[in-house]
Amino acid sequence: MNKAMGKLAAVLFLLVVLSAGEAAESKRTVVEYWHPNAEAQGGLVVAELVADFNSRSKTTEVRERFIPDMYKGVMQNLQAEAAAGKAPAIVQIGWAFLDYFSNNFIYTNPQTVIDKYFPEDATFIADNFLPNITALSTGGNGDLLGLPYSLSSPVLYLNRDMLRAAGLPENGPDTWESLREFASIIKERTGKYGLYVQEPADSWAQQAIVESAGGKFITFENGRARASFASDEGIRAFGVYADMVLKDKSALHITWDEGVQSFIDGNVGMLYTTIARRASIQKGAKFDVGAVGSPAWQGHTKKLPAGGCFLAITARSDEEKKSAWEFMRFLYSVESVAAWTKGTGYVPPREGVADAPNGLKSFLAENRMMEAATTQMPYVARWASFPGDAGLQAEQALLDMRDVILGGSESARDAMTRTQDEINQLLQ
Amino acid sequence: MKNMNVKAFLMLLPSLSVFGAFMFWPLARTFYISFFEWNMVSPVKKFVGLGNYAALLGSPLVHRVLGNTAAYALILLAVNFVVPYVLAFVLSQVVKRGRALYKGAFFLPSVISLVVGSMIYTWILNPISGPVAIAAQRLGLSAPIWSKTEGAVIVVLSLVTSWKIFGYNFIVILGGVSGVSSEVIEAARVDNVPLWRIFTDIVLPMSSATGVYLFVMTVVQGMQFLFTPIRVLTMGGPNYASSNLVYHSYHEMFVVYRTGTGSALAVITLLGFAFLLFLEFRFVEGRVYYES
Repeated sequence: MNKAMGKLAAVLFLLVVLSAGEAAESKRTVVEYWHPNAEAQGGLVVAELVADFNSRSKTTEVRERFIPDMYKGVMQNLQAEAAAGKAPAIVQIGWAFLDYFSNNFIYTNPQTVIDKYFPEDATFIADNFLPNITALSTGGNGDLLGLPYSLSSPVLYLNRDMLRAAGLPENGPDTWESLREFASIIKERTGKYGLYVQEPADSWAQQAIVESAGGKFITFENGRARASFASDEGIRAFGVYADMVLKDKSALHITWDEGVQSFIDGNVGMLYTTIARRASIQKGAKFDVGAVGSPAWQGHTKKLPAGGCFLAITARSDEEKKSAWEFMRFLYSVESVAAWTKGTGYVPPREGVADAPNGLKSFLAENRMMEAATTQMPYVARWASFPGDAGLQAEQALLDMRDVILGGSESARDAMTRTQDEINQLLQ
Repeated sequence: MKNMNVKAFLMLLPSLSVFGAFMFWPLARTFYISFFEWNMVSPVKKFVGLGNYAALLGSPLVHRVLGNTAAYALILLAVNFVVPYVLAFVLSQVVKRGRALYKGAFFLPSVISLVVGSMIYTWILNPISGPVAIAAQRLGLSAPIWSKTEGAVIVVLSLVTSWKIFGYNFIVILGGVSGVSSEVIEAARVDNVPLWRIFTDIVLPMSSATGVYLFVMTVVQGMQFLFTPIRVLTMGGPNYASSNLVYHSYHEMFVVYRTGTGSALAVITLLGFAFLLFLEFRFVEGRVYYES
């Protein structure tokens, strides 16, 4: 009898041990991290960072999920997920959707999570982020919606070989007026296209063009947002851009992927797109490739919308919120930020990375293309973000406007005035 | 008798429940939502009655999408109904050699996913640096920037979709055409009836059962298949020039999140297709030749 009891006890003991092992294994909280970084846009680094984190963390397992169609796609998927009553733990929110996000979704201020569970990080945000940087991700109510993660600005990539072949200075143009001439000369002398301005599912680059001419995408009147891009300055700037496409035929109107592909293939001389594409362009181009800061219009100071995103905590349960900050803390370490910058071209959002030996010190010394973006940081302003339920519709209206103008079916003046009215109707 | 009814019902139950859960219930829900203004997350649904329908029917944008849909239907019918029909006739009655090879070659693309196909086409058709553009350049032509040209974009997207459905349609219609009794055709040949008349007067009527099926499927299924290349290649652009009814419903529902409007458009699309089917039953079905 005793023997049998002993055996039974042994078996029970074994079971307990086994299940304990299992419990320890499944104790790691699994959370999702959503990002729009395709392989050519930092997707590889995302995968690396996540794998690195997962191999270190004892409490959390992060699963990364790539969402196509940039930040708009992320927003739309987040909306579908919310409709199903679910949410990922951490999401990259594009600057243009800041207001739409804070109006429509549940989020947690990272400082709140820190104060509750991570007293050792209490001053992490204050210590490492400049006030004007945290201001970027602060909502209208003064609440911190998340932490800036990717910071970018539009730069002008140059095919120096082609510029030389066309007899042009290899450092490129510094105003939009001279850029137009450059493009015409390239077209004339080499038969290739002069310029492609990025056309993804957002109007970021177009905002830079309009606002660097003195226009303003959104103005606030008594705290109410109104679209205001159809000012004389805005119309003139967009008109010149359209003329390059339609009259000079020196600029291209094609999709973003096609455009970047064509620059890398050596069929377009200058490419106006985000510094975040630096790594893949540098890797793909078989010619002498350079990058210079965004041009301004004559007599105006350039004003560039901050591109990129902030990381928001959308986790619902306390467990997931804890995991979310643990992962964010890892992403904001000097090494991780350095890896992110090297793999993408985003400007580091936090202090202490650029000159740290374990950060980007040697990298920035070798990569002069990054200078185009780091030196124009003083000109970076907010990406136009239409508030309220109409945010997505307003963004869509801007894309439609771009298609109509560059397709030549409506003049810049008509299309911009009409779209501005439409958006203001939506905003009411 | 009553017992039999119960038994019959029980036997239908499995398929009915699957249909119910995945078709009739969502359909009813879509119909219901089409009377509201809603963004899918907001707790408040605002009842607007037939407002969504009225707005859609009066919208120039929807008229444009309707026009696009008709253009797509015409091109798809030409490429995936008329051409395979003639080809099937040629291969079954005229050239009988190498039939197996053609069957395999035409069917092959149908097994490749449309997403993959669309991505391959993004590269092939890149108007500046894709192989087609380069070949055109060698010949001294310049490829049009189709992805941003109204009209051209519909043609190209139809062709990408045809790549997928042509093979299947060809196999189906080949079955129908091969089923036409060879004695009748031989008799006609002996009488020196020209080939084109054999096709129009014998093969066409005698294979019409398959033909009508294919006609309807080409339009209805084609509209759904088109969704993938539109989504991957143009997202309905430039300025909705490549959007069709199915894609536009999706656009309203999941891109700008006007769920009510999107649902209303889906209902309108459904009614449109139902009307086509009704016409088909009313006027064509009666004259179709069924062998048995």
